[in-house]
Amino acid sequence: MTDDPLLRIDGLHVAFGERSRWHDAVRGVDLRIHRGEVVGLVGESGSGKSLTALAVMGLLPRGAKVSSGRVVFDGIDLTAPGKVERLRGARIGMIFQDPLSALNPAIPVGRQITDSLRTHQRLGAADARDRAEALFDLVGIARPRERLRAYAHELSGGMRQRVMTALAVANDPELLIADEPTTALDVTVQAQVMAMLDRVRRELGIAILFISHNLELVAEVCDRVSVMYAGRVVEEAAVETLFGRPRHPYTRQLLRCTPRLDGETGPMPTIPGLPPRLGAVPPGCPFAPRCDAAFDRCTAETPGIWREGPHMAVCWEALR
Amino acid sequence: MIRACGGIAGFLGALIILSLLIMAVLAPWIAPFDPLRVSIPDQLLEPDARFLFGTDQSGRDVLSRVIWASRSSLSVAGFAVMIGLCLGVSLGLAAGFHRGTWFEQATMRLLDAVAAIPVLIWAIALVGIFGIREARIGPFMIGNEVKLMLLLGLLYVPTLARVTYTTALSESQANYVAARRLQGVGSVRIMLSDVLPNCLSPVIVQATLMLALGIIIEASVSFVGLGVQPPTASWGNMLADARNFLLSGEWWLSVFPGAAISLTVIGFNLLGDGLRDRLDPRHNITAVTA
Amino acid sequence: MLSLMVRRAGFSLFSLLVVSLILFVLTRSIPESPARIVLGDDVTDAQIAAFDAQYGLDRPIIVQYLAWLERLALHGDLGQSFTTRLHMNVEVAATLPVTLELVTIAFIVAFLVSLTLGTLSAVFRDGPIDYAARLLAVLGVSIPGFWLALVLVLAFAVERDWFPPGGFVPLSEGLEAHLMSIALPVFCLSVFYMAVLTRMTRSALLDVLGQDYMRTARASGLSRLRVLRYALRNALVPVVTIAGVSFGHMFGLALIIERVFNIGGMSRALLTAIQQRDYALVQAVVMVFTIIFVVANLVADLVNAWLNPKLATS
Repeated sequence: MTDDPLLRIDGLHVAFGERSRWHDAVRGVDLRIHRGEVVGLVGESGSGKSLTALAVMGLLPRGAKVSSGRVVFDGIDLTAPGKVERLRGARIGMIFQDPLSALNPAIPVGRQITDSLRTHQRLGAADARDRAEALFDLVGIARPRERLRAYAHELSGGMRQRVMTALAVANDPELLIADEPTTALDVTVQAQVMAMLDRVRRELGIAILFISHNLELVAEVCDRVSVMYAGRVVEEAAVETLFGRPRHPYTRQLLRCTPRLDGETGPMPTIPGLPPRLGAVPPGCPFAPRCDAAFDRCTAETPGIWREGPHMAVCWEALR
Repeated sequence: MIRACGGIAGFLGALIILSLLIMAVLAPWIAPFDPLRVSIPDQLLEPDARFLFGTDQSGRDVLSRVIWASRSSLSVAGFAVMIGLCLGVSLGLAAGFHRGTWFEQATMRLLDAVAAIPVLIWAIALVGIFGIREARIGPFMIGNEVKLMLLLGLLYVPTLARVTYTTALSESQANYVAARRLQGVGSVRIMLSDVLPNCLSPVIVQATLMLALGIIIEASVSFVGLGVQPPTASWGNMLADARNFLLSGEWWLSVFPGAAISLTVIGFNLLGDGLRDRLDPRHNITAVTA
Repeated sequence: MLSLMVRRAGFSLFSLLVVSLILFVLTRSIPESPARIVLGDDVTDAQIAAFDAQYGLDRPIIVQYLAWLERLALHGDLGQSFTTRLHMNVEVAATLPVTLELVTIAFIVAFLVSLTLGTLSAVFRDGPIDYAARLLAVLGVSIPGFWLALVLVLAFAVERDWFPPGGFVPLSEGLEAHLMSIALPVFCLSVFYMAVLTRMTRSALLDVLGQDYMRTARASGLSRLRVLRYALRNALVPVVTIAGVSFGHMFGLALIIERVFNIGGMSRALLTAIQQRDYALVQAVVMVFTIIFVVANLVADLVNAWLNPKLATS
């Protein structure tokens, strides 16, 4: 195993807008994922987690573009034109949040998988079908042969996410990006899907970028975690460190908002205020207006970086 | 102003329509000649400085006839849409509001059944059945123009009712209507003061596109001799006359009335599209075909 | 799927009944009785009574209607003309094929062109092709087909002799002459629907291309062409619906276009019938149009159920 990460994101900026008015929604994200590693990316909605993932895949929505920064996958610069198209679905797979809207309603799910298989591998129709069947088996779909002919609307929510996973890992990718894979599902189904993802990961030895706002799930499956706020990674650490000794006040407050099942009662804590709007990010630390530990430097200067081994936080308070 | 019409194209449409309306209203003062003035020596003259659009087989000035004809075309389309709006919106609103009743079922099924024949075919067949002669209803003599207007208005009812119905249906299920009911506001009042205003946007857009359609249908029906009757000028019956001079090369007879139709229809369509972009971004409105 | 089809077919049948009843009642309730139209104004009451008895016009309207309906449903018999005594089926059989050919060819042309143009327009959104297609679409829905016909005859049949100015050359008199005679009518007939369907294809495709499942298709690395095929499968549904409606509506425009080109199709049958106040024939022709319209919509529903099985279950 080499020291080079499988995926390296350096100073990624993603901007929204048209003509001359552009606003950065992702403002300089750095991220590394090594082979076989599971990295969590957490933050409130609108913090830029999904945009970062879509930028990696080259699937940014209309009106958004990578304005600067580099995304390097196994030595290949994905921001260069024509590069990412060859890797999508082959070496990088992606699972989306809502499997119902993410699966084509007019095409049988099996067909969607065999089409992907035959795009990237030289396979006959029968071989592709066998392979798809094996994939359904892998993601825990009973009676796979029958289910291959089903349409997305005929399957349950959990089943659809299994299909989605099978589609994402069809061509044995090295990296799987899972964007809130369980958010649209019932809590009971969530656990099953997480167990399935974990099994798939171990069997295929795949690296995963796991995007979620659910800290409990992240604690369960990830090796390392990056916390995003207002388009930037504000804290990064191994999972035990982050949950045990968080350094950024945002992370601390986020952890406090996680519902506990240990019998503690009382009102659910929340983080007061709202994240800054696109194009209206305040100077200094963007979290300062909501921060319970902010002091005068926080609103004046862009925060410095605090480091302790692999633990990193972008915060003046941590540096004090 | 431009934004109200949904962009430059919509604004252009509005300008075209406005100028045409002014032209129609001021026809007696704008038209250089009497559109009915027959002058045998001036038969079939090519366009020149005196007769800008030339003259027809009776020596009548084509420009004056085109100007006057805008009155019949615009009024047939305009009144037809108004009739369609009055009946269609009331029926659609009532049906949408009385969801799940026999009234809703009967009304909508019946209207859909009538919509099973294209408006143009209905119009031709019905005028054909009633005849093109003047008809007497009570003390009123009804010319064919008025007959066509009434018929077209009735034929517009299904489409306009459908558009209103679809919106009213979703509106009447909205939470704010339930809230108004809990406040003790009566059904009729909710329908008129809450549901109706929300239905108006798609209805206005549809009505604008139907004005365009009305111009085409009036012209088509007049072209086959079942619409506005000579000597009254309409763009459609001018083209019917022009057809007889097609092979002998009197091109001005065909070109100008048709260009007038096209310009008017373009105007309404541009305005309708602009309004749709502005008022109904989700595109609830079905494509209008004749 | 089956229940949807049964429901649709049931509604179609209902439409046919309503339309035929309206037509029947209207044609029977106009002040001029068929006897007067056929026999002239100076007939005696006895002659009228005899005429009415001969054709069963002395029975109550509803009885006449049911009898007419029975003949239509059981024998496909559209009735008999009072004026020419001809059987309607003969009249329709003589004129329908011409109109049907024009409309079918124009429909195919319109559908194929608009599918291509609409797709290009959506794929190259805001590019020159898109602007051109959108401009053509606005012009296409605004320029009346029959005026286009007049202008094209002036330009290509009178000024130059590229096409015959009118008339219909049957296929039996040679393929080339046949095609030349229908080229202009077919074009004029298709332009409006080309425009309508191009717009529909464009907007449906743009809508589908923005859907999550298209992002999935790109995420799984499918080629651009296959991504487009995935999109079209979904985008075609509203296009097919409108195409089904358009096919029926084209017969209306065909009536006018046939008249410009002097083609002896259904328009001649209908307009002659109107001139001779032959209401039975008017009714028969409209009935035929209604049946075609209803069938076209049913076919569109079937195609859509095949394209997107979800529609059939919901």
